[in-house]
Amino acid sequence: MKAIQVKQPGGPEVMELVESPVPQAKANEAVVKLAAAGVNFIDVYFREGRYKARFPFVPGQEGAGTVTAVGAGVQTVKVGDRVAWCGLPGSYAEYAAVEADRLVPIPEGVSEREAAAALLQGMTAHYLSHDTYTLKSGEAALVHAAAGGVGLLLVQMAHNIGARVIATVSTEAKAKLAREAGADDVILYTHTDFESETKRLTGGKGVDVVYDSVGKTTFDKGLNILRPRGLMVLFGGSSGAVPPFDLIALSQKGSLYVTRPTLAHYTATREELLARSSAVFGMMSAGKLKLRIEHIYPLAEAQQAHRDLEGRKTTGKLLLIS
Amino acid sequence: MELAELPVPHPKANEAVVKVSAAGVNSIDINIREGQVKAPLPLVLGQEGAGVVTAVGAEVKSAKVGDRVAWSGVLGSYSEYVAAPAEALVPVPPGVTDQQAAAAMLQGLTAHYLCYDAHPLKPGQTVLAHAAAGGVGLLLVQMAHNLGARVIGTVSTEEKAKLARQAGADEAIVYAQMDFETETRRLTGGKGVDVVFDGVGKATFARSLNLLRPRGMLVLYGASSGPVPPVDPATLSDKGSLYMARTTLAHFTATREELLARSGAVFGMIASGKLKLRIAPMYPLAAAQQAHRDLEERKNAGKLLLIP
Repeated sequence: MKAIQVKQPGGPEVMELVESPVPQAKANEAVVKLAAAGVNFIDVYFREGRYKARFPFVPGQEGAGTVTAVGAGVQTVKVGDRVAWCGLPGSYAEYAAVEADRLVPIPEGVSEREAAAALLQGMTAHYLSHDTYTLKSGEAALVHAAAGGVGLLLVQMAHNIGARVIATVSTEAKAKLAREAGADDVILYTHTDFESETKRLTGGKGVDVVYDSVGKTTFDKGLNILRPRGLMVLFGGSSGAVPPFDLIALSQKGSLYVTRPTLAHYTATREELLARSSAVFGMMSAGKLKLRIEHIYPLAEAQQAHRDLEGRKTTGKLLLIS
Repeated sequence: MELAELPVPHPKANEAVVKVSAAGVNSIDINIREGQVKAPLPLVLGQEGAGVVTAVGAEVKSAKVGDRVAWSGVLGSYSEYVAAPAEALVPVPPGVTDQQAAAAMLQGLTAHYLCYDAHPLKPGQTVLAHAAAGGVGLLLVQMAHNLGARVIGTVSTEEKAKLARQAGADEAIVYAQMDFETETRRLTGGKGVDVVFDGVGKATFARSLNLLRPRGMLVLYGASSGPVPPVDPATLSDKGSLYMARTTLAHFTATREELLARSGAVFGMIASGKLKLRIAPMYPLAAAQQAHRDLEERKNAGKLLLIP
């Protein structure tokens, strides 16, 4: 089979297309013939060596396809099942051997490409809006990077719950995307200070929750626009890591809460993984959650996919297909 | 702190004058006296008390002469009379004495917001309460127990362990004798607790994060051992997508409605016998110096009150 292999850390050029044997299913594993693999920033971090990996390895943490073989002890899937997964490496390939308990079924009405595009970002948006903070109708949420991959899905889910969504974006084009996704108010942070504008938009009350994947450049100001007892959800750091901060700021600014969640803790049990993935797939097949698949590359063009992702030219999901 | 003779205050338009029956002694009073918390001098100390309204200003609707009332967050309670904003006064119901009301306002309302609002406890959840035999601690343990939570308390001595158990703690860890982190892990079968209520701060914070279950919550509501050093948010994700809050009572009694609801709930627990207060032998007003010395030396288990 064809696969992308990384032999040593480096730029996009270290990803090579290689011919390697189709993996065999060990006990508790299933082999999946991939229809599509999602391209994510975490793949770049592993490629660069910023996250630890054992070289050589096949990158890719997200994919969807059809089960072609199962190992001993596998009960949850069978040959022919359409499945998707995220959080385990090896999806930049024609076939991948995956822990069976991490595979989720893809329902009718959702294509494999959609499943590969939605699993990581869709489940992230889902846990953020449904569990980390259980948004209620009438509450106000500030979503940073609202036209980003998670952002556009989070805006849609928050809007569907009935929350008022205030979105921050960098350009007019992204503002349009955020509005189409259901944002009630869009702040171009390059033109308008999001802190004073959010205060104005909420009549000085502040928002119930801030969803912040930007980090360093937005965190402190984000605390200033929370209502008393509001929650700051820091779920990424695209502008850099938030430095250590003094907790007294939380009491001074209104007995605030802070959390720093990751998807793994919100899909820790098979039960929760299935519930969450099927909720997301359900929204997609009902037409309530629209994906933005920007570009589909053949597997052999993985290098270009990474260049485009790192160049931040993209506003939608990138997929590799074999 | 000197005993002085001053004129009885007159109420401004939005104030009520209260004849104080009992004033609570709190560590914030010491912080103000020492100048760590700034306040213009000279001043009459004391933030908490209870008594009977003797006069009201022209615009006051929420209290009338003869009402039994209590308050916290009003400076000037170490006195026979205090003029307080009427909106800060809450009614004391029959079945609750003035002394009980004065003793419960700060600590009782704090314990209440912690386990009813900062992290609403559900039956079957597990709580770790630091300083479980302290002023807030003993009340928090009782409320958490009454809510059906499993309560693990940390205390410094065997004697305090006994108090915590009497208040309803399922487990009391004498932290001077064993590591509370290891012991809490053992007691929860490695799972960790749903919430930690931490009024201790510096000495307990970091280890407390280690014994929360994934997605658990640390509520820091004080720092009796010193302020917690700055926290790297990445610690929260590394240790299990944790939450933390740094809370103060003011934000949980911000509206008149919430203040009345919360004080009413606490007084209701006292009147029905579900919440037992531990009041130390009381001091006459003239012995305020001794009360502060005793509080600073942590001589007494129980709330210190001054009786004018």
